[in-house]
Amino acid sequence: MSSKESYRVELRSAARQLSDRCLYSAAKWAAELLIDIEPDVHAPASSASSSAASARATPSTSSAARPLSHLHPDASAYRRRLRSAAASGDIAATPPAGVSYISTPVPDDDGFNSDGGNDRYLLAKSYFDCREYRRAAHTLRGQTGKKTGFLRCYALYLAGEKRKEEEMIELDGSLGKSDVVNSELISLERELSSLRRIGSIDSFDLYLYGLILKDKGCESLAVTVFVESVNSFPWNWSAWSELQSLCTNTDTLTKLNLKNHWMKDFFLASTYQELKMHEEALKRYECLLGVFRSSDYIQSQIATALYSLRELDEAEVIFEDLLRNDPYRVESMDIYSNLLYAKECFSALSFLAHRVFLTDKYRPESCCIIANYYSLKGQHEKSVLYFRRALKLNRKYLSAWTLMGHEYVEMKNTPAAIDAYRRAIEINPRDYRAWYGLGQTYEVMNMPFYALYYFRKSSCLQPNDSRLWVAMAQCYESAPLQMLEEAIKCYTRAANSNDSEGIALHQLAKLHGVLGHSEQAAFFYKKDLERMEAEGRQGPNMVEAMLYLARYYKSEKKFEEAEFYCTRLLDYTGPERETAKSLLRGLRIAQTAFPSMDIGHFGS
Amino acid sequence: MPFAFQSISHHHCLGLFLFSLTRSCESFLDPSLEELLNQLKALGGLAMLSEHLISNLLVLSSPDDLFNFFDKLRGVLAAPEGSSMEEEQTLLDPNSHLGIFIRCCILTFNMLPFEGVCHLLTNLVAYCNSNDSTYEMAEDDDFNGSEFHELLEDPEVYCEAAEFEEYGLENDAQAAENLTHIPSKFLSSFLEDNQASDDPRIKHGDGGSQSGGLIPLLNNNFRTDDNLGVLRSRWQIEGYLNMQADLLEKDAISFPLYSFSATLRQLQKLAPELHRARYLQYLNALYHNDYLSALDELHCYFDYSAGMEGLFSRSPSPSSEFEVGRFETALLCLGTLQCHFGHPKKALEALTEAVRIAQQNNDDSCLAYTLAAICKLLSEIGISNMTGIIGSPYSLGTTTGLGTPLSTQQQLLVLLKRSLERADHLKLTNLLAFNHLALAKFDLKHVKKPLLSFGPKASMKLRTCPTSVCRELRLSSHVLSEFGADGLLQLNDTGAFSTSWLKNLSAVGNPWLKKLQKPRSLSVNDYDTFQFYAQPNPMPGSVLQLAGASYLLRATSWEHYGSAPLVRMNALVYATCFADAASSSELSLAYVKLIQHLSVFKGYTEAFNALKLAEDKFSVSSTHIRLLKLQLLHERALHRGNLQEAQQVCDQFGVLASSVTGVHMELKTEASLRHARTLLAANQFSQAAAVASNLFCTCYKFNMQVENATVLLLLAEIHKKSGDAVLGLSYVLASLSFCKTFNLDLLEASATVTLAELWLSLGSSHAKKASSLIYQALPMILGHGGLELRARANIAVAKCLLADPSYLVSEDPDAVLDPLSQASEELQILEYHEMAAEAFYLMAIIFNSLGRLDERENSAASFKKHVIALENPQDEDNLPTHGV
Repeated sequence: MSSKESYRVELRSAARQLSDRCLYSAAKWAAELLIDIEPDVHAPASSASSSAASARATPSTSSAARPLSHLHPDASAYRRRLRSAAASGDIAATPPAGVSYISTPVPDDDGFNSDGGNDRYLLAKSYFDCREYRRAAHTLRGQTGKKTGFLRCYALYLAGEKRKEEEMIELDGSLGKSDVVNSELISLERELSSLRRIGSIDSFDLYLYGLILKDKGCESLAVTVFVESVNSFPWNWSAWSELQSLCTNTDTLTKLNLKNHWMKDFFLASTYQELKMHEEALKRYECLLGVFRSSDYIQSQIATALYSLRELDEAEVIFEDLLRNDPYRVESMDIYSNLLYAKECFSALSFLAHRVFLTDKYRPESCCIIANYYSLKGQHEKSVLYFRRALKLNRKYLSAWTLMGHEYVEMKNTPAAIDAYRRAIEINPRDYRAWYGLGQTYEVMNMPFYALYYFRKSSCLQPNDSRLWVAMAQCYESAPLQMLEEAIKCYTRAANSNDSEGIALHQLAKLHGVLGHSEQAAFFYKKDLERMEAEGRQGPNMVEAMLYLARYYKSEKKFEEAEFYCTRLLDYTGPERETAKSLLRGLRIAQTAFPSMDIGHFGS
Repeated sequence: MPFAFQSISHHHCLGLFLFSLTRSCESFLDPSLEELLNQLKALGGLAMLSEHLISNLLVLSSPDDLFNFFDKLRGVLAAPEGSSMEEEQTLLDPNSHLGIFIRCCILTFNMLPFEGVCHLLTNLVAYCNSNDSTYEMAEDDDFNGSEFHELLEDPEVYCEAAEFEEYGLENDAQAAENLTHIPSKFLSSFLEDNQASDDPRIKHGDGGSQSGGLIPLLNNNFRTDDNLGVLRSRWQIEGYLNMQADLLEKDAISFPLYSFSATLRQLQKLAPELHRARYLQYLNALYHNDYLSALDELHCYFDYSAGMEGLFSRSPSPSSEFEVGRFETALLCLGTLQCHFGHPKKALEALTEAVRIAQQNNDDSCLAYTLAAICKLLSEIGISNMTGIIGSPYSLGTTTGLGTPLSTQQQLLVLLKRSLERADHLKLTNLLAFNHLALAKFDLKHVKKPLLSFGPKASMKLRTCPTSVCRELRLSSHVLSEFGADGLLQLNDTGAFSTSWLKNLSAVGNPWLKKLQKPRSLSVNDYDTFQFYAQPNPMPGSVLQLAGASYLLRATSWEHYGSAPLVRMNALVYATCFADAASSSELSLAYVKLIQHLSVFKGYTEAFNALKLAEDKFSVSSTHIRLLKLQLLHERALHRGNLQEAQQVCDQFGVLASSVTGVHMELKTEASLRHARTLLAANQFSQAAAVASNLFCTCYKFNMQVENATVLLLLAEIHKKSGDAVLGLSYVLASLSFCKTFNLDLLEASATVTLAELWLSLGSSHAKKASSLIYQALPMILGHGGLELRARANIAVAKCLLADPSYLVSEDPDAVLDPLSQASEELQILEYHEMAAEAFYLMAIIFNSLGRLDERENSAASFKKHVIALENPQDEDNLPTHGV
């Protein structure tokens, strides 16, 4: 049995168990992954070659695995031996990065005491599937089995959640802030905590218990409980993602005491992504891709990471691929739409919007995609309408709040924009785009000093983003503040962190020029010129740079360089050309006036 | 009639109680049922009422009962005029406070959707259940436990209660209050649904700004939460928050940072649309010197409220006249925040931006406030040169249009005048008073020079003008007296009276409770003293504070002009009359002045005793008190000759000041002044002179002219002691001219004494001149001078006489002995060993020449005692340990 086979066995059983407990999204996730495992080829030789191929395809696959497969043509036999070792509680499967995985036995489903219990379970599950949660819970009252116990609690929890949502609408409108709590939390917490105390709690109960604790705000305990849950049953992706939502910084992440199961890699990758450690996330995902070759999930995560790294073209290719494989996919398509928005692909975005609209128009992602399209078309009112719909469907949809804020800024409705951004920050205080948006809003309101606070916050969260530093510099540079020294500092940071738009270099040159630091100014103009040449751009900035350099070199008596820039300027039309001509004339006179210097210059 | 009142007064009492319930703001939660019943019991004689309240709660078990209840409630209100009234029933006037309250309740109920009614019912049950167990203990009556589950209040009670006279039947207030909690939520969501979906913010703001009577009440006020108690009306919550803000300012230490912010978070959770709680969070962080979270909360508050709530709505001027809101207020607050934390440059940037935005938005009142804030900043923080700090002088419009750059002081004056004008124009009484005070401060310390630097110069006498200081001070309190005249008083109804009334009620109800309450030093106010017969102070706290500030400033100005009795009087007036409204730092300042007075006139023993009392009253962390302690310790150490200790204290002084330039200027000046004096006492003349001249340069740079006079005098003293009398003369003369310019009479007298001493040290030929100088200064010294100065003058008088060749000791010994003995007495009180020894030495010599040997021996013994004490300062270490 190959490791893939063992993955398959694990996932198969897990998906079944999860769906028995009505944990549908986790079951869906497991089932998707099950399909995505690269099909085993039964002939041992081809198996080896396929694993070699996989190693080739993903260069980051550990170097340890490759020689092994060469040494042992019968890799599966080797793995079988490993597997038998794992039975004694040690290593399982080939660890991709030289780490050993711990195998977790798939827990047996508890049998039912009597047929009657099973019947009740069937009835309750049907109720549950029909979304009659309270009825399901009622049917299961007094049942002692683990599965039925969990289902009862979970049904109660969901009933409370449903009521909570309703109340929220009743009390405040769907977008209002509200303090409504799930009324079942207290009794459920009591029950589950006593179960945990006597030790008869299983991983699913633990997951539910964690959910409840998180809702109640006991986050540290919730983390412990989730860790317990995933350690005993690692295939519950919902538990992992709850855990991930609680890991808001690397410190908590490193402190987690997690067993080394392969699911942990998924968790780590997605958490890295959330913590903006995109490079690390990419690395992990590429490892995982070695096993789950055709996983759409991993592909979409990779594409998202690439998008966050501003590798738009690569990400687009992946997204297109994804959509080709799975035309009815809605998940993470909002990222794709953001990408298309950034690339200003009108037709592709409209095509995507149409597609998701037909698939399921009442998904927050769909609304967001449509809103993006309208925004790109400049119809901001409509865009806001769709963002609001997205937020009605999911109030915690972070990026929708931020994007809606952007729309409000476009509409010059600053109070609404500020509100939207603040809501985003409320959901995730580390969302640098919302802070940035707030800063921009205040800048629009002509309050640069006030805006500085927000830019500072956002650049603190995303220190390597040149746009944020440029924004801050522009504040300092603005007419009311005129703090040029500080502006220069910010532009320097921006220039150092790969300023793709090239504003920083130009502004640096300009500011140094204003402050009379001609040497630095010339340096930056030259750099800017080089950059523009490398990117093959033209424009007024180029002319400005050349003119400055020509004048600078003239004043520095470096006539040759001055002449070089002047002649280049002659290629352009406009007043600069005339200036260049007169400069050239001046240069000639100067050169003839100081022949000795001229000679010395050529001599050197 | 279900119950009868024993007397009219009971009836009134209940009316007052209900009224208070709807007005009090000691907490943001409604009292629980148990508390309510206890309060009712405390009223006395109303046992029937609580029984009814409880026994009739049964009725409301289905939504329909609620509908019936409100129908009956409507019957309680008097019909509009003209309709006939039944004879014995007195109905509630619909326009009275309670009438409006009930009408609000009914209206909100009528607008409820069915879900709302259900919520209401659940919450009522929860309200009753929350204390059914405790309830049994509280009441002796024999209710069944089962009944408690349905303890709902009954309209019957109230309908019948309608026989109340003027207060009418308001005890459904409580019921009604409960009933209104959720409704408004629905109402607001309903309103919001009707709004165009794209702009919740603006619409909301509009609704708020047209705040007529009912709308604000209904808009957001009542909410409830199953677990966290029942919220009061918006008005009451705001009252609560304002009250907490006042208390915070008064005495931040009594608010533990975390627990108070937890309370506020609870409130935020209960009423997320009430952003003022965030402002309180900001204040909380500010007063606990938590820079980062203060900054965060400030931005958070203004982002959420979009500047719409406005901060000045609590100022007693009618809010309709001016709308200060939006983000200029945010900038103003940011400026004051930065100023508070000692970032003058950032503060100025923020305030200039505030000026710009206020001008842009035509927000005149905010502009006036901002200008005042800039003035405060400029006057407090040493800025030698404005250019480069404010981007361009034009941004503040402070150029005279003549192109001449203005000095900081001139800019300050221009700004002050502008702010004053604006405040006057806008009728911002508080600001006007504040500006007058600021002008008085300015006049106290600065010579007004003509702004024009050319043209015909009017004959100017370059002196400060005490009359103008006096005028400004008078004007400032005069402005405040307009509060009574303008009928602005009713705006002052902050519910404080109702709050204290209820508080006292519970105190009366359980006398043991009162004892349990830890008496907080500062919360002792009129209410406690007079129980609930007390009338609340009719003046708003802010007005009182400003009025008090004028007295403090008076005390300070007399300190400058040199009248000790007047300093004492004004400080006393402040400490006795304005203690309630004063913040703890200002109050401690008044105490400091009083104690300083004690130390100068009564010696250190008494001063330290008083200091101990003050330390008990204010917590140790009060900066004023801490400084005072250091001052006293330093003075005493210097007098006793304990130079090591003096140096230590001096170093502690230096540490207290922030290291940022321009901040804590006064503290820094004082620290180096004391350093120089310590060095002088140690006879390190050149070092002392170096420190002093350095200080002079600083003072000159930052335009601190008044301090210059002191520094120059110190330099003169240094040269006198080092024996360079001629050099000393020039310094003392310079100091004298400064004193004259700024009317520093007492300092002038002291400088005159120094001058006389210098002349004397030049030789006996100058004795005549010296003595005439001293006699000139004597009236001032004897009238206002402290022990040390008097003693110095007395010794100088004696020395002059002794040096005078025309004076013979044998002829008139008392002429020298009297001043000397007086000086020695005073110096003994001060424990000023060095000078006391000198006095005794002179006395011994005189007695010797007179042949009065016994007295000579006595004086000599005293001389010896003081010399020994001076040489062994550590021996008298009975000083209190100074663990500052």
